[in-house]
Amino acid sequence: MSAAVLASAHLKGPHVDFAGLSPLIALLGGATIVLMFGLIGSRWVRANLVPALSLITLGAAVGLTIWQWDEQKSIVSGALRIDGLALALNLVLGAGAACAVLLSWRSLAAREAAHGEFHALLLTSVGGMSLLAAAQNTVALFVGLELLSIPLYVMCATEMRREHSLEAGLKYLIVGSVGSATLLYGLAMIYGATGSTDFSAIARALGGGGLATDPLTLTGIALCVAGLCFKSSVAPFHQWTPDVYEGAPTPVTALMAVTTKVAALGVFLRFFDVALISAHGSWGPAVAVLAAITIVVGNVGALGQSSLKRMLAYSSVAQAGYMLAGVVVATRLGVQATVLYLVVYLFMNMAAFAVIVARERVTGLGDSLDSLAGIGRSDPVLAWPMTLAMLGLAGIPATAGFVGKFYLIDASVSGGYTWLGVAIVVGSMISLAYYLPVLATMWMREAPAAGRTPPARPGGLPALAGGSPELDAGAGADAGEAVVPADGGWEVGLVAVLGGAATLFFGIVPQPLFDLVHSAGRALGLL
Amino acid sequence: MSATTWGWLVLAFPLAGTLVSALGFRRLPGRSAGWVGTGAIALSFVASIGALIALQGHAPEHRELVSSLWSYASSVGIDAKVSILVDPLSVFMILTVTGVSTLIHLYSISYMEGDRGFVRYFAYLNFFVLSMLLLVLAGNFLLLIVGWAFVGAASYLLISFWYRRTTATRAGIKAFVINVVGDVGLVLGTYFIFKHTGTLDLLGSFHAVSNAAHPAFGHATNDGDLVAGCVLLLVGAFAKSAQIPLHTWLPDAMEGPTPVSSLIHAATMVTAGVYLIARMHPLFERAPAAQDVGAIVGAATLLIAGTIGLAQTDIKRVIAYSTMSQIGYMIMGVSVGAYAAGLFHLMTHAFFKALLFMAAGSIIGAMAGEQSLDRMGGFRRALPFTYASFVIGGLALSGIPPFSGFFSKDEILLVTGERGGWHWALYVVGYLGALLTAIYTFRLIFRAFHGEPVAEAQELEAGHVHHAEHPTNPATGEVEDTDVGFPGPVHAIAERALPMRVAMGLLAVGAIGAGLIQIPKVDFVIDDFLRPTFADSHLYEPHTRNGLLALGLILGTVIGLAGIALAYRIWVARPGTASALRSAVPGGRALYRLFLNKWYFDELIDALVVRPVGMLGRFSRDSFERLFVQDTLVGGTTGVVRAGSAAVRAAQSGFVRYYAALLVLGVAGVGFYFLLQT
Repeated sequence: MSAAVLASAHLKGPHVDFAGLSPLIALLGGATIVLMFGLIGSRWVRANLVPALSLITLGAAVGLTIWQWDEQKSIVSGALRIDGLALALNLVLGAGAACAVLLSWRSLAAREAAHGEFHALLLTSVGGMSLLAAAQNTVALFVGLELLSIPLYVMCATEMRREHSLEAGLKYLIVGSVGSATLLYGLAMIYGATGSTDFSAIARALGGGGLATDPLTLTGIALCVAGLCFKSSVAPFHQWTPDVYEGAPTPVTALMAVTTKVAALGVFLRFFDVALISAHGSWGPAVAVLAAITIVVGNVGALGQSSLKRMLAYSSVAQAGYMLAGVVVATRLGVQATVLYLVVYLFMNMAAFAVIVARERVTGLGDSLDSLAGIGRSDPVLAWPMTLAMLGLAGIPATAGFVGKFYLIDASVSGGYTWLGVAIVVGSMISLAYYLPVLATMWMREAPAAGRTPPARPGGLPALAGGSPELDAGAGADAGEAVVPADGGWEVGLVAVLGGAATLFFGIVPQPLFDLVHSAGRALGLL
Repeated sequence: MSATTWGWLVLAFPLAGTLVSALGFRRLPGRSAGWVGTGAIALSFVASIGALIALQGHAPEHRELVSSLWSYASSVGIDAKVSILVDPLSVFMILTVTGVSTLIHLYSISYMEGDRGFVRYFAYLNFFVLSMLLLVLAGNFLLLIVGWAFVGAASYLLISFWYRRTTATRAGIKAFVINVVGDVGLVLGTYFIFKHTGTLDLLGSFHAVSNAAHPAFGHATNDGDLVAGCVLLLVGAFAKSAQIPLHTWLPDAMEGPTPVSSLIHAATMVTAGVYLIARMHPLFERAPAAQDVGAIVGAATLLIAGTIGLAQTDIKRVIAYSTMSQIGYMIMGVSVGAYAAGLFHLMTHAFFKALLFMAAGSIIGAMAGEQSLDRMGGFRRALPFTYASFVIGGLALSGIPPFSGFFSKDEILLVTGERGGWHWALYVVGYLGALLTAIYTFRLIFRAFHGEPVAEAQELEAGHVHHAEHPTNPATGEVEDTDVGFPGPVHAIAERALPMRVAMGLLAVGAIGAGLIQIPKVDFVIDDFLRPTFADSHLYEPHTRNGLLALGLILGTVIGLAGIALAYRIWVARPGTASALRSAVPGGRALYRLFLNKWYFDELIDALVVRPVGMLGRFSRDSFERLFVQDTLVGGTTGVVRAGSAAVRAAQSGFVRYYAALLVLGVAGVGFYFLLQT
């Protein structure tokens, strides 16, 4: 009876483009599966199968992204856009997250968080980033942003027995909430002014009348600028970055440094270069000034830091400033330059963080600069990737960093922001003062003779609320549990070597990168 | 395989050789690095032959092939690609370069046997050849500049190879600095040409100057940009090819191991300027003023270097001045339009000059590192093979028929004479230079091989190679050891080392016979082969005047023989004539001192450039640099950066409440800015 009613009512579900959604479905579905497998009792399954499943999930997402290549469509009633930009960023996100999974495979952080939860959080966060990169609706934007952020707050605190890790998580949560609130407020105001949440509708409304100079709109844009600047750690909204990067477990820091930036700059590009393009005259100079401040603050702040993670945090602030130049000019060349820089940024940072992870495991000096002393002689397999990463971040020719910076400067100059190009050059000059000491430490200092104290292993610490005593008691003793390898681990070395090799290869043969970003540049319909 | 694939292979082998030697220096056992290096260049030579065969398979008008691997940057109007140009000219050059270099590598295996830096030596040597091949194969100005600069860097590494010798490091620095002057010229010249033609591609720029509808284009217009560009290219060519006044590095470069001198002089470095002018002929022909500059400087160099060669006593330096003089002929040749003749001379010169250096290396080995002619004598019987090689090389250099130098040098002068007008002056200078060449060449031979055997020669005749008790620097007499950074303890002579004999024997065959491939009125191998490259040239045409040709051939023979006879008269028949002449001829002593002191070019450059710049530098350092640059600019900026760093760190208190406060302040600031827009 009821079946007949349903049949006669001609009920029609909304059309769902599963193909377009497939990378996102893969990520979130994978997160669920990983969470389930994390409940299996065997330690071996938890420690090895779960990361493997995460890698498979990311591989599937990347594969589906490549399957969707060349698509140009809006899905979910226009909330998401599948185009060259979203797909290119998806690739970068997938690669970055895969590196982070490898770095955390046998790490303390993943074990403390019982593997399944850690990797599920990681995949969820990457799903949020993927959503953000494709969002063309303010609601989707905000959902993506929160889906990205909340798992990261937790992941920062996964080394539950380390005070700094907890501090990082809490700080990130509090300051991050302020940032999200700011953004939400801004989005609400823009909705109030234009009556729409859709990017293209906002663009139409702003382009039509005098709305572009309306105080409500402008306040909304200001709050959105601040909110997004917070997420991409642009000064003066960057202050959480050094503390959180330093405190968080290093694999999580690597994930945050690379993929969060990819997502944040992706949404920066789409929101400002599509929805707010009519108000470009208002926000362009403001964001340019912020970019310049960021370049200065990031580079100046990185000077003299003895913690490598803190130094890379400031460095990532500076790099965000460079990349913002591609957003500011709002041209096709600018979009291409930003995406290209995101790709090379992935290579360089992953190489650097992998080396830090490996040295943390070997030396017990943590992420101190001293941990690298003398590895040019003792461990060239790590020293070379780090060297290439540092030279690349500084923008030395024959590394991919040079190609990336060259295009950003080219984009700023041809977009009418020559002074911003000059700021990038000046910033790169200052940056040598903190990248080169790393090289000097590796190649010109002797390894400390007696400093080889292996890092303290957990055990004997009081049980935590929520922690399981059995795990604590048998930590590392069980043959099935992957213990933190004392030699750094081959997977970490692999990430370092791949990152370093890519930095060098694409510095000499940049053509494949140009091809990759070409479709991203066309996606936004800019000139 | 296509010609361009062969072209890439020509580059790939030396690159592989460089990397294997450079990275595997700990693991390569014994002398294997030498064989790796030699093999790499030999394979490159084979690939060059492959390119030659593939290229000849094309119709003559389709023999300019460009292949681009990838584009490095294409924005703001720059088309920077990694591309090579394979055409008759570049194939001619790679054949010469790889062929002669292979033999020099082979020779080095024995010559450098006892040196502690053996592997490093071959890594540098392969890199040197790679750079030169990159230079001649480059398909655009950018890659040309890269090859050009690499050649300069490689020459620095090899001239300073014995890096614990102060004289060697100083010579390396001098060579590098003067070459950088040339690099600047090349880069600025490229800029002007880029400005004029709008492209960095070689063929593209040639096309632009010859085909544009612009009234400024066309023949012989002397357009300002183009003349400036070509003259600046000439500055680069003069520095690399050791032409006056940028030549002073070349004699000093003799501080490097002898095979390196051979490589620099015969194959890899000094010929680059000749190649550059020949390659850029479409540009030069539209800037005749620049051509005239090149011709006059080349003629002046050939004469001045010849006179200096008469007076020097260091055996390698005499050959070095001879190279300068011969390159002067080539530069003059390619500047007056004798492209095929200039390049022909480049090839024959590569054979006999490499041979002469190798023979000189053999004598130096027999003298245990001593290079002064004053200490040598009577080696004829002790070193029969070396003697024969030296005489063959000397006859070719002096232009005695039927040796190779005869045909190539006379062809340059023939074309010069045919241009008529003031070019007759160059013609006369050319033959005057030929006389000097014959005299100084045979002065070398007579002084080193004839006369009474010196102690070292007698020792060798008794079957023992002389070894100095304490190795010394031949230039200063300082005592050295034989560890890394100084020459090794083993001294090689060709008579006792098969690789050296093979290399010298093959080069001797070339020095004797290479001239036969292009005999006036008989065969035109070089002319025909190079014609596709120079198809657009209005100066590239066969000879017509039989009278001039006959005059040149007779004049060349007579002058060469006369020079040898004079040398015999002065240094063999009546020893002591030289000093008698100096006192008999009025002004003879002054002239001798002028030649001996190399026309005071070093002093002149020292007085005109080095000292004033040095004084200016010291003055600036004491006033401007200390106060303004160091204290104000450097101190100021670092101070500002430090203060900024401190401020950023001070703001980084670690307290969330401050972060939130700054966040709110930032939001307020941004919001305030936006509200100002309304």
